[in-house]
Amino acid sequence: MSSHSPALLGYLVAGALIAATPVAAQNWRSLDIARQLADSAPTAVNVVYGTGTFGLRGSSSALLYHMRLRYDASRTQPRHSFDTTGRKLLLGVQKSDVRFTGRSDNESGQLQLELSRVAPLDLTLDLGAVEADLDLTGLKVSRLHIESGASDGKLRFDSLNATPMSVLEVSLGAASFRAERLANANARDIRVDAGVGNVELDLGGQWTQDIDLRVEATLGVVTIHVPSDVGVRVSLKKLVASFDHQGLIERDGAWVSPNWESAPHKLRISAETTFGKLTIDKTGR
Amino acid sequence: MRPAILALILAVPWAPLTAQQPAAIQPPATRGAADSTGTTAQARTGASAAAAPTVEAAEPAPVALQPAAMDSIRELIARFRRDPQGVPLPPREQIAMGGRTIAAGTQVQGPVAAAGGPLHVYGTVNGDAVAIGGDVIVHGGGRITGNAVAALGSVTLAGGVVGGEMRQLGGAIGAIPRGATATESRVGATRHAVALAASWLVILVLIGIGVLVFATSYLDGVTESLEGRFGRSFWAGIAAQLAIAPVLALLIVALAVTVLGILLIPFAIVAFILAVAGLITLGFLAVARVTGESLAPATRRGYHAQGAALRALVVGVVLYMGLWVVASAFAWAPIVGTLLRGVAVAITWVAATAGLGAAVLSRGGTRRPSAPVSSPAPVNDLPWQTPTPVTGVVAARRPTPSSSSRER
Repeated sequence: MSSHSPALLGYLVAGALIAATPVAAQNWRSLDIARQLADSAPTAVNVVYGTGTFGLRGSSSALLYHMRLRYDASRTQPRHSFDTTGRKLLLGVQKSDVRFTGRSDNESGQLQLELSRVAPLDLTLDLGAVEADLDLTGLKVSRLHIESGASDGKLRFDSLNATPMSVLEVSLGAASFRAERLANANARDIRVDAGVGNVELDLGGQWTQDIDLRVEATLGVVTIHVPSDVGVRVSLKKLVASFDHQGLIERDGAWVSPNWESAPHKLRISAETTFGKLTIDKTGR
Repeated sequence: MRPAILALILAVPWAPLTAQQPAAIQPPATRGAADSTGTTAQARTGASAAAAPTVEAAEPAPVALQPAAMDSIRELIARFRRDPQGVPLPPREQIAMGGRTIAAGTQVQGPVAAAGGPLHVYGTVNGDAVAIGGDVIVHGGGRITGNAVAALGSVTLAGGVVGGEMRQLGGAIGAIPRGATATESRVGATRHAVALAASWLVILVLIGIGVLVFATSYLDGVTESLEGRFGRSFWAGIAAQLAIAPVLALLIVALAVTVLGILLIPFAIVAFILAVAGLITLGFLAVARVTGESLAPATRRGYHAQGAALRALVVGVVLYMGLWVVASAFAWAPIVGTLLRGVAVAITWVAATAGLGAAVLSRGGTRRPSAPVSSPAPVNDLPWQTPTPVTGVVAARRPTPSSSSRER
């Protein structure tokens, strides 16, 4: 028997199941939603987006938010509400619409979101299979939580977050994720939970405090870039995983950089990885 | 829809009707105010960066609309009322056709709506302000306490204030298509589904031919195992399905406890999945062959053994996959389609389960079912029988001369 034939039956059944699923008409629409900025009170922002392209950036205009959504009305319904009393903003699409359809479309949805740089934001992003470009430069983010299923995401802070961030959490399913200049997030506590995928964390930027970084990865490759003048201490639990600790020395059950004691700022990494690979790049990138 | 929009564009040539990509909501920092004459030219182009001189503005005259355009706009209004992103509109007679201006210093109770032209707000609207096929322009001193909504137009802040949401609707306006609009695409979706199911049918037939050519003995082994013990194969298949995950876990653990085995775990996982998929495929093809043989026996037609096997296999695969093709053909009918898919799933699962069980019992077709212990074959004694009775025949007495005659 051919070595390809066994897997084909699985594809066959799955394909037939998908093929037999009734599909509604495509009905593309666009929706622009904005609200004038009335004050600079803190606002909790929750964005849900299923499939397509998602862009987020700060805006200096006199708007609290401006969402431009292009969507297929036969599959998804926009969601936009703002509780003026509780300062809760919900944007994106309905949670139930975050699903994988199994169809490849010539057209894909798009969500472009601009948030005010004036109001402090408690930001939660719930993303499905999304190509995300999250430029949080200039925003005042007091807390950031990103949850993503199968996405290709990029997060960056090109300037220092003006508001100390209590926690930065990233939870990924099967994703490729890259965060740039994370020190600018101004977060003392950073947690990354990655399933299957490639995660790259660049801790460049302006260091204002020590950072605790917790990383959990399964079947993934995690690469952490650390500036050369930052002291690094890595405590690692691994199962069938590799650890590239070039430039680090083992001490008291952990791996530390030679400048650990003298460094002005310290990065404490607590990592757990299974069937994965953790690399610490301390070349000053 | 398209002729309606065309008519609208012809009737209101300067209105910014951008059906596909409405202009972005413009905050005051980036878009100039309308000029004091109230004309919309600058609001449309956004050329003026100066702050609005405000207050007393001459009321722009409403646009004169042709009857055809009026019909198109009424249709658009009706669609807007059904759109989930729309807002409640005032009664039809209160919608200003061709545009409207809320004069400075006046207060109007909302919702206020204009269609086929812009809605200029210099005064105050207590509620929502809506423009359908036109812009909402909030000038300096103007205020909307509710939402500012533009369908196929834009919302422009020209120094005014909007208390609620600024919303622009573009693309298709109206209710979410569930009926007539969806029908056309349902036909396309059904066609697509049937083509896909039929393609998989062909692919599976080709796989079956490949198996018949290159792995006949394995297929024969599974087939023989299935023919004699269908019930046992089915239960074995269920047990095998339940055991797949635990066996894989055990395999990983067993490899992990050894040093060398750790490196083999990824390969072992892939190999295990391929092996399971191979057994399922082999078993399913065997079930298809047995089904085909029972439905269309080829013995009477004098087929060669390989030809008969191929015929049976193709008939079986066509039967099972035909269920999916039929189910796909009813994709346009949700209830019937779902029922047929349920039937196809159930039958395919039973077939695949029994096939998997037979493949497991026959060790992938390498072990034939053991021959039943039978009594010694009856010996046909007939050819060896002689006409001589077992009990013997009384021998005939040879005629011998009597003693009297001898004496003579």
